[in-house]
Parts: sequence; structure tokens; C-alpha cells
Amino acid sequence: MVSRVDELEHGALERRVWEALAEVHDPEIPPCSITDLGIVERIEATDEAIEVDLLPTFAGCPALDVIRQDAEAAVARVAGPGRLVTLRFVYSPPWTSDRITEQGREQLRHYGVTPPQQGAGQVFIPLASLERAEGTADCPFCGSHDTLLESAFGPTLCRATLFCRACRNPFEAFKPKEPARP
Amino acid sequence: MLDGDPRLSLLLALADDELVLGHRHAEWTGWAPHIEEDLAFSSIAQDEMAHARLLYGLAQPLVGLGEDSVAFGRRPVDYLNAWLCERPNGDWAYTLARQYLYDTADAVRLEALASSAWAELAELVKVMQLEEKYHLDHGRAWFRRLAEGPVTARQKFADGLAATVGEAVALFEPLPGEERLLADGVMPRTSEDLLAQWLEALGQDLEAVSLDFVLEHHGPGTGEMVPTSSGEIAGGEGDLGVPGVVRRDGRWVHDGGFTGGGGRRGRHSEDFVPLWEEMTGLYRAHPGAKW
Repeated sequence: MVSRVDELEHGALERRVWEALAEVHDPEIPPCSITDLGIVERIEATDEAIEVDLLPTFAGCPALDVIRQDAEAAVARVAGPGRLVTLRFVYSPPWTSDRITEQGREQLRHYGVTPPQQGAGQVFIPLASLERAEGTADCPFCGSHDTLLESAFGPTLCRATLFCRACRNPFEAFKPKEPARP
Repeated sequence: MLDGDPRLSLLLALADDELVLGHRHAEWTGWAPHIEEDLAFSSIAQDEMAHARLLYGLAQPLVGLGEDSVAFGRRPVDYLNAWLCERPNGDWAYTLARQYLYDTADAVRLEALASSAWAELAELVKVMQLEEKYHLDHGRAWFRRLAEGPVTARQKFADGLAATVGEAVALFEPLPGEERLLADGVMPRTSEDLLAQWLEALGQDLEAVSLDFVLEHHGPGTGEMVPTSSGEIAGGEGDLGVPGVVRRDGRWVHDGGFTGGGGRRGRHSEDFVPLWEEMTGLYRAHPGAKW
């Protein structure tokens, strides 16, 4: 999914809010801004108020409070003293990993976390220490496809742990989160 | 607390199951048999507690309390979780058997509630489903691993299933006010209907690995008194099958009472109060604390 900035209806101020939010990062995924993660769902700016809706990646993400504080501060700087800033987390539509932008995917890869595949009905069996599911994500270090999923669970709710058989490195991948495909 | 809107009993049943089982799962943090499972149970616990929080948030206007107060500020009789969720973790096989049974059952009820006429609930359920998928896959992977594994693993897993399956059936005990929830479309299907779907699938899973005997023969007879759905107390004698679960025309069906029923009306096992004391201890010691 591409950046939503093109869809904004009211030009300049909303664009500045978007740009301010593009400076806010998820502390658990430091390389990516929240706009690249696809968390920013809606921006509405008028002379009186600015409203921003955010979509949590995972409901239990402990970084949500930090993201909210940082985003509020960023929007407040753009809003100036006259406008009421309202920022909330909403759950519709559900956030899916397809919302991460191309730039976000590149940043994740550079950071050493393989981005989730998009759309292809990816098979992702957790607990491959039991199942030995192969080829679920490419290695972010050597690019090999010869990888094993160790566990669908990792250091954060949004990451899985894998092992690369080519370069013998353990690595992490952003967990795909998308509706089951028929 | 539950005299008013029946939607509250639905929310609390769902949320209290997640909170209380999440609390039990979190007890594995630092103690699971290996690091991947430590992370798995810690992550699953984190998800379950987050889902409880979403549902408590929806309950706030109905109950007139803040999120934390709904989660931790109620008396034990105001919690509507099923007994299955409050039982101590036991051994690793028991934990995995319970996780498999709970998450397969949870998937059935979430699938139904995703089309609830209560739009706010349906939205949250769709978010939960995307995350529960990983719990379900985790439970299923361990099911195959242990059921088809070495003799000792298989035997321990069978013991775990036998010890938990009766109380897992009671996850589908009808809710107070269910008739109104059905009439309003908040619940698209009856609890009994969901139980039938889950039980049939469970029977097939168990038969596929020849473990269906856990449905027939459920631990040694204890002679315990068993409450039934009608509120009657039935005396157990000799070996108890899973009460009310019978095989008919090649399918496993529910026909009668519940083992460990009463959770949906605030009745709990002897294991609940110690859990409640620990879970709510901080909240009670420091009312209104923020973190």
C-alpha cells in the first residue's frame, strides 16, 4: 500500500501534519516511521482542530503509548496554539502488514528485519522448530531463500525468529498479518 | 452488576476468559521448557491481555467503570470466565492441551461474532482474529507434535486433554441473557450451536490421531457432584465420561450438562480466588495507580 498522502483532501495543513508524523518512529521498529508502517489512517485538519486516527499494528503492542505521545507532540507543533489536537487509536479497518510502504520495507531490510511478503497468500507456519517450515522469508543479510522459521514469536509481538542456512545467521522477520485467503 | 444490558455478560465472558488465561500463560515467562516457548507463551499472554483490554474498553460505558477498574476492580463473583481458564498450569502437556482446546474454541466463537450486528464488537473481533491465528497455529502444531510423538509425550498429552476437555466444553455454557443477545443479532448463533461446531471438529481431530478416547473416558471417577446447565446437581459415579458428550451417528455431540459450569454466572472453582488475589493485588494495594 502506498503512502496515503495523495489521498488527503485538504492540501497544505494536512500535508504538514503528515510530514510531522513521518518523523515519529515506532520504538520497537526504530528504522520505520509510523507513516511508513501504515499506522496513520486518517488526518483531518480545519481552522479549529486537527484529528488523527492511528491503527495499532498489534493490539498488545507496548509501544502504543509512546507512539501516541510522540505523535501528539509532533502534531501539536504543526497545529499551533489555536487548534485542538485529537489523536486516537481506532480498530477499523484492522491494520495489516500490507500497509507497510515500499520505503518501510526497504528500511526494515536494511535494519536486519525481513519485511513481510505482500499479498501472495503467504504460508507462515509458526513453531517451525517443530514444523521446519522452509522458505518463509529471505535472509536480510545474504538474501538467501534457504531459511527456516524457528518460531512465529520473537522479541516483539510483530516479529518472528528465523535462521538462514546459507550464511548461518539467526534473523528476525516482520510477522505477516493479513486475513486468511480462501 | 449484570442486571442490565446482556451485552455486558457477553463482553465479560469473552474478556475475562482472555485476561485470566493470559494471566496463567504469563506464569510460564521465564519457566517454559525452552526459549522459543518462553517467548511464545509470553507473546500469547500479551495478546490475550490486550484483547481483554479492547473488550473492557467497549464495556466501559455499559458498566460505568474505567478499563483498569473493569479488569481489576471487580469482586471474584463478578468475573465470568470459564473454569478452564483459571486452572493452574499443571505440567507442560496440560498447558498445551488447554491452549489447543481454548484457542480452537475461541476461533469458533470469534468467527461467529465477526458478523455480530453490534458493529463495534465485530470490528474488535476482526482485529483479534488476525492475532489469534498465531495462537491457533501454535496449538495445532503442538497437537500434531505430541499426538504423533513418542509414547511418553503422547501419553502425557492424552492425560492433559482428558483433564481439560470437560471444562473446555463449558466455554460454551449459555450466557445470562443469551435470548436477548440472539434476538438483537449481537450473537449471530447460540452457544449450543457453536459448541456443536467445535465439538464435531474436535472429535475429528482426535479421531485422526486415535485420541478420541479422551472424550469417552475422562480420568478416574471422583464421585464429584457435577452442576448441569439447568442448575441441577448430578452425582458422578465411577468413571465419568465428559458429561453430556456422546457419540451419535459418527459425530461427537453435546447432550446435557457441563463439567465446571457456572463460570458465566460468576461461580468459580477453588483455584480462582488465589489467582484473583494475585492478579488484582497491585490494583487493590494502590487504588487508582497509573502505569
